[in-house]
Amino acid sequence: MLDVSRVQKELAECNRDQAISGVGIALCDGGSDLSHLTGTISGPVATPYEGGTFRIDIRLPGGYPFEPPKMQFITKVWHPNISSQNGAICLDILKDQWSPALTLKTALLSVQALLSSPEPDDPQDAVVAQQYLRDHQTFIATARYWTETFAKRISVDIEEKVQKLVEMGFPEDLVRSTLKSVNGDENMALEKLCSS
Amino acid sequence: MAENGGAPPRGAAEASSPTSAGAVADGGGGGAALDDLANHRFICCVCLDLIYKPVVLACGHISCFWCVHKAMHGVQESHCALCRKPYIHFPSICQLLHQLLLNLEPAAYKRREKEVLEEEKRLKVYSPQFVDRLISKETHSANGNCKDTFGARSSTAAKEPSATEHDLVDDASFPLSKRVSTDDVLKKVSVDDVLCSICKALLYRPAVLNCGHVYCENCLLSLIGEELKCQICQSPHPGGFPNVCLYLDNFLEETFPVEYASRKEKVKLKKIQYHQGDSSSSAEPAKKQESKPFQFSNIWLNENAANIHAGVGCDSCGVYPIIGKRYKCEDCKEAIGFDLCEECYKSCSNLPGRFNQQHTQDHKFVLDDSRTFQRILWLARGAGDHLQVVEEGEHLVHVDLELEAPEYLEPRPESDGDDDDGTRQDRSGSL
Repeated sequence: MLDVSRVQKELAECNRDQAISGVGIALCDGGSDLSHLTGTISGPVATPYEGGTFRIDIRLPGGYPFEPPKMQFITKVWHPNISSQNGAICLDILKDQWSPALTLKTALLSVQALLSSPEPDDPQDAVVAQQYLRDHQTFIATARYWTETFAKRISVDIEEKVQKLVEMGFPEDLVRSTLKSVNGDENMALEKLCSS
Repeated sequence: MAENGGAPPRGAAEASSPTSAGAVADGGGGGAALDDLANHRFICCVCLDLIYKPVVLACGHISCFWCVHKAMHGVQESHCALCRKPYIHFPSICQLLHQLLLNLEPAAYKRREKEVLEEEKRLKVYSPQFVDRLISKETHSANGNCKDTFGARSSTAAKEPSATEHDLVDDASFPLSKRVSTDDVLKKVSVDDVLCSICKALLYRPAVLNCGHVYCENCLLSLIGEELKCQICQSPHPGGFPNVCLYLDNFLEETFPVEYASRKEKVKLKKIQYHQGDSSSSAEPAKKQESKPFQFSNIWLNENAANIHAGVGCDSCGVYPIIGKRYKCEDCKEAIGFDLCEECYKSCSNLPGRFNQQHTQDHKFVLDDSRTFQRILWLARGAGDHLQVVEEGEHLVHVDLELEAPEYLEPRPESDGDDDDGTRQDRSGSL
């Protein structure tokens, strides 16, 4: 059974210094399920991810904190250890090196550290890793482009879009989930909302 | 505990003792959720709450009884959550720390007790139950030795541990503050609560044995002849020489600075004399090296691997899992069972169970191999794909069997750790 009181303590602890640490955790889609959370990390400075805000889907198994949390990028990111297809993360502490003394905050900080120091020899995404090793310039450019395209736009004006669509008469939580499912594309979201 | 005078006197006390007040309250910026605790150092790294029923691992790190047990691996060596040092013995609760925390944080500790007991009732598995005593300042001198023997553990004859329930004091109104001066701490504990039972003085660089008893590191070093053995309960200490429990050590240094300094001086002096008298041999470090850290990893590679009793621990020495012969008590009715490893069975250990089992010496033992790997694999082959790997009584353990035998076993169903007896597959039926 999930240790609810620990998760609540973690959320409070993590969000207290979000401005400094650059990582935050919230309940997924404003719901009430403590086992489904959304983490955000800011891209580390002096990396192609700088300036981006990356969202991570966090699912806590029943055995948490004795089993690792399941983390996956929602925001698309170009990185050797993160799948460009589905956002799966290759990080030992999220697998066999997990320890119950680690927390969601420390895990997110580790993911943030992974962004600044990729391990191309132990890749999750072979294509990205190849590019990282063989054509570093292109890798940097692609990673930066992905950050600009996916990690900035959405986070910066998502609230604006939500407001716009809500004003059109759609319920807010539906707007948010639809926007999320189309990666923040306003027109596609509107299309979807109208057809549903 | 009613000696808490409220805010104004505490503020005054803080101002008058600037040296250590800040140090004690250095966790002030800690966590909103933990604000009701005065001593942030005794926070369990696993549940992020006040440590309840403290267990000290050989590496010197403290956690709650259940936090350590749940984090242990059912089929191979376990690792400390903080430093990842491997260990295979589940240590007994450290009664000295238990009493210390109860005195330091009576309200929070009682709250924890209530929460844990509720959870234990739900799961029908209990941690050892003690009869707690809140020691107030007045009774300190009369009640010097607060180290409970394990008699308390076995004397609670009731099946349901209700002994501690009725004396749950309603401390909701108990005024706690974030900042506590040493003076306040001194009202709750005295040097008499933290004595070494060998040198009878304040613990200096305390180390905790597998049985939960605490000694000075130096006193333990002086003991090493052939085998490290507890002087109170005579239990052997398996594994390597224990590390100093730094949490406790720092607490002692800050709470009793004068006594601690004098202890430090004395030990230093002793060492100098020792070296002057016999400068040729550096016996002390040699002794330390003698007891090497426990090496366990290679066991998986040799033939013993088949004799690992998955998810079964010894109730005497705490080895978990048991490797080799497993003796199971036939008469203990508790779901968690009562088991001994071969060594403890042969030494006729009569320690009470680790989960409050009502085991007595006239109970009978049988050899049991139902949980060995050999058998599990064989069963898995026989039962085909639908075999559920299930726990026998010890349903709190996390057994990652798929790692070791991926070709035979289905991944364990998403278990939330509280499967009831009813959901367990009857293994004998699947034969």
